[in-house]
Amino acid sequence: MTSFQSTIGDEEGIAEELAEGQREISIAEFFEKNKHMLGFDSGARGLVTAVKEAVDNALDATEEAGVLPDIYIEIEEVGDYYRLVIEDNGPGITKEQLPKVFGKLLYGSRFHAREQSRGQQGIGISAAVLYSQLTSGQPAKITSRPKGQSRAQYFELIIDTDTNEPEIKADEETTWDRPHGTRIELEMEGNMRARQQLHDYVKHTAVVNPHARLELREPGLDEPMKFERATDELPAETKEIRPHPHGVELGALIKMLEATESYSVSGFLQEEFTRVGKKTADSVIDNFRDVYYGRELAWSPPRAHDDRDVAAAVANAVANKGKDATNAFSEGIAETVANNDRLSRSELAAIVDNVAEAVEGDTGKTFGGTVRENAVDAAWRAITGAAGDESGGGEDGGGEDASESPLVADAYALVDDATSTRKDDAAVRAMAEALARRFENLDGEAFRIPRDDLDRLVADAASFVAEQRDATFGETARGNVVEAFWSRARTVPDDPPKVTAIAGSRDAAADLLEAMRTTDILAPPTDCLAPITADLVEAGLRKEYDADFYAAATRDAEVHGGDPFIVEAGIAYGGEIPAEGTVELLRFANRVPLVYQRGACATTDVIKNIGWRNYGLDQPGGSGLPNGPAVISIHVASTNVPFTSESKDALANVPAIEDEIELAVREAARELKSYLNKRRSMQQRREKQDVLGKILPEMADKVSEVTGRPRPDIDGALARIMNNVSVEREMNGETVTLVVENHSDVNEQLEITDIVSTEPTDLSDGTVVDMDGEWFVQWKPEVPSGDERELTYAIDGDADFEVSVGGVETEKLTVND
Amino acid sequence: MTTESDARDELIDLAADFYDQFADGEIPEMTLPTRTKSNIEYDTESGVWTYGDRTSTRSANSVRGARKLLKAAYTIEFLADQLDEDRSSTLRELYYLSESWDNDEAQFSSQDESNDLVEDLEIVTGVTREDFHMRPEESGATLMGPLLIREQTRRGEREIHCQEDVGAGGYQIPNNPDMIEFLDDDIDFALAVETGGMRDRLVENGFDEDYNCLVIHLKGQPARATRRITKRVHDELDVPIAVFADGDPWSYRIYGSVAYGSIKSAHLSKYLATPEAQFVGIQPEDIVEYDLPSDPLADSDINALESELEDPRFQTDYWEEQIELQLDIGKKSEQQSLASRGLDFVTDTYLPERLGAMGVL
Repeated sequence: MTSFQSTIGDEEGIAEELAEGQREISIAEFFEKNKHMLGFDSGARGLVTAVKEAVDNALDATEEAGVLPDIYIEIEEVGDYYRLVIEDNGPGITKEQLPKVFGKLLYGSRFHAREQSRGQQGIGISAAVLYSQLTSGQPAKITSRPKGQSRAQYFELIIDTDTNEPEIKADEETTWDRPHGTRIELEMEGNMRARQQLHDYVKHTAVVNPHARLELREPGLDEPMKFERATDELPAETKEIRPHPHGVELGALIKMLEATESYSVSGFLQEEFTRVGKKTADSVIDNFRDVYYGRELAWSPPRAHDDRDVAAAVANAVANKGKDATNAFSEGIAETVANNDRLSRSELAAIVDNVAEAVEGDTGKTFGGTVRENAVDAAWRAITGAAGDESGGGEDGGGEDASESPLVADAYALVDDATSTRKDDAAVRAMAEALARRFENLDGEAFRIPRDDLDRLVADAASFVAEQRDATFGETARGNVVEAFWSRARTVPDDPPKVTAIAGSRDAAADLLEAMRTTDILAPPTDCLAPITADLVEAGLRKEYDADFYAAATRDAEVHGGDPFIVEAGIAYGGEIPAEGTVELLRFANRVPLVYQRGACATTDVIKNIGWRNYGLDQPGGSGLPNGPAVISIHVASTNVPFTSESKDALANVPAIEDEIELAVREAARELKSYLNKRRSMQQRREKQDVLGKILPEMADKVSEVTGRPRPDIDGALARIMNNVSVEREMNGETVTLVVENHSDVNEQLEITDIVSTEPTDLSDGTVVDMDGEWFVQWKPEVPSGDERELTYAIDGDADFEVSVGGVETEKLTVND
Repeated sequence: MTTESDARDELIDLAADFYDQFADGEIPEMTLPTRTKSNIEYDTESGVWTYGDRTSTRSANSVRGARKLLKAAYTIEFLADQLDEDRSSTLRELYYLSESWDNDEAQFSSQDESNDLVEDLEIVTGVTREDFHMRPEESGATLMGPLLIREQTRRGEREIHCQEDVGAGGYQIPNNPDMIEFLDDDIDFALAVETGGMRDRLVENGFDEDYNCLVIHLKGQPARATRRITKRVHDELDVPIAVFADGDPWSYRIYGSVAYGSIKSAHLSKYLATPEAQFVGIQPEDIVEYDLPSDPLADSDINALESELEDPRFQTDYWEEQIELQLDIGKKSEQQSLASRGLDFVTDTYLPERLGAMGVL
């Protein structure tokens, strides 16, 4: 610093020199400097990002047209470059729009819309075009065929990097086999080192868009990767919504104020925002008045024993109205005033108006504006004790009669009430006096003060008292005092300024914004969102992962900063999912897979902080990504997904969203847990069965050996041990009995079919069907826990049997045929 | 007690119980008294501690229980065969022998397991281990004193005088002391001694001869045969029994198992315990009175003393007083610490004084 200071005199014109270095940078330079933000920081990544942007666009376009997406992606090596082709079956793009959509950064229909969509900034696809142009020098080649047109349109397009304007190099009609859609062909520098990420991106896109059909061809694949659709259901169409009052920023608000056709603030709020009706607008306006005008402090009117006489003061202020009318007027006012606990000046004015009108009606005398105003002034002086001409007050410590002021008495009551009982009475009195003096010094006679000023005023009085009296009023005490006065102060009846006035004043607009934010307003509607829905989240996982178990959960919509959002989670477990290492985490925002920056993403943080051991997954150290054969997918849908950067790779850590992610994941994880518990208990049961099934016969053999008796029948004991349902055949001459014993702790509803080779007779309930010389005997007995049923029939002579039992898990079943 | 064929029948009956349970479609099980400190009760009639009413069930309902019962079935077969052939084996041999069984599940995983199982079978059948022809690994007591016995050995009968016919080591009792018969004696009392060093000191000083005393070497925690012979000496020869051990909680337990019966073999207390046995010392009181060299109590000693205070067998005025005194002084002493007063102090002074005070002499 010092060296710079010492040379500043010598180096004349340094500012000019610096200014010379400043010039407008071209869009190409901007891109070059920011390509990491846009996802094009390396050749490997650039290719993935370009595919991602093009596919996102294609999906948006097809869905908007109500067409089931059918998207083809091809990457080819062309000399030193890669050629990327993306085709969709969307509605195509009109000739006028086409260059703008693909050719100009920051053009896009989405930027201002409050609606869930994949692209938001309009940077993506044009950045890909620019990247291809900068690295290969080739124009983007675009073919578009709007529905119903017999021919397609072919363009070659480059971006003028100086002006950020697209230039069309070729514009000709061509033929294309797709009936409608768009094809974009980009040539770019790149490499396929990020092949895995590319495959993941396409696969994950298929998971989260079960209604889309995708095909990927690239040089490393022998066979194209094809992803068929799992549903013919298009995502629900989203509605665009107006902004929510909690979600706008000051700049946006001022722009809206400037652009609106509304005249009043109330109209503006109701017209331009969602969830604002007359009532909500009124509460916003009340809050706005408090911020903009401040409130009027209210004071207690004189009591009977006070010598401040409102009636006399008013009577004195009225001339030439005759004795009766004057009395009626002054006493009417005095009486109404006395009925109020506290009064602000505006309230007093309203009382005076009411009484004046009533007396006018009764007496025929007219109480004009001036008379009324004089009456208000006089009554107000009587209430507040302000002595008109003397009301300038003095410096702190002046004015012998300050203690006489009704303001002091009022203030004393409030301060005493608001502070702890331990406060010294003298200090409280001093505080009340200091406050009263400061209130008297406020501009005007109405004691109008905004909340901020009241804070400052109280703080100032407190520090004065602290200095004079050595009594401290801490932050809490001051806060209580402020609250005591503020809650008793009245919102002013003044009309709020007109929209144009607010638009013209940054401060007023800021006040309005604050008022909007402090007002409770219904959460925004959620029809602007299209969640995948739990069923389809599960279907998507089912389609791409061959697992044993799937669960999914969709949360209700929540709001963050005026933007509604919905979180969905899905879990797939077991089956072909590799068991080694950590689980696979799929992150999606508005149906777009997030491929990079997993570690920086809020979803990852949430997953790491969940105690997965509770849910039956292995989690070394009790935190971090769990291990095991599982895939966890998380989808956040919002009109404005908060990303950590423009490249849209990672969700920002917004607490409201993190909470919902956690709840959604836990909801799905609870299902996983009960599945795993059940599986584990089944497994234990199977192991127990295996071991006991081996040990008990051996034990039976041994005891029969020792006792010298034949081997006992142990099936009954086995069934009992396993808490099993046992079905056992007993033959007694010509009677066949199936004994069903239920040793489990729940009632069992069984379906038992016995296939017999001769015709059965004398059935105990049940039905019999003859099927080509085999008889199917069927019973559907309900066997209560711990009970048994006997199912019988008779046969003539020998027969073959084959019994099958349904309605109970095979692990629980012991059949002795 | 039971004869060999009785013992075999009891075992076969147990197997038959399992058989019948199977045949009735029931889950085989075996019910035993719960073998814990909280489930032993004082039997006023016999003056010993036996198992209370609480029982535990070994059921084939669980994998663990089923394995236990399978092992029991195999062990029953082994024991029945052993009795048939009039052979015997040690507990440790049983453990190793299980390795030869054709069934992996029936093999014992530790010797504790096989020992426990044999005890279970004793309890359920009411037959002692000795009658199963199961020997413990450790040998029983040695006796030294004016006692003539006849022992049935595999090689015929032997008559032995436990002072005149034996060397300095004394007479080694067999594993089943019921195989010996008392013929004649000149015993005034028996002294059961914990450590070998002290036993040798007494014999060297001629204590057995001078006082007509039968010196029984307990060899630490006494084996069942030792406790059985002690009880027989008391009951059949009608002489008082005194127990001479170290002055620490572990030695009180030795006394406890001689006098009251042990928790693990409480089912045999009536057969093994000698409730009339008296404790000579070393008493905590002696540590103070004779100013014996001592060691401070370790934490484990303190825990053991506190646990003894809760042990129903030790809830007598005498033991509560002694144990509380020991906790108070925080010291323990060995028998041999008496040597600090000279080698003859124990036989000339300590024992005559103590035994006199106890009314034994």
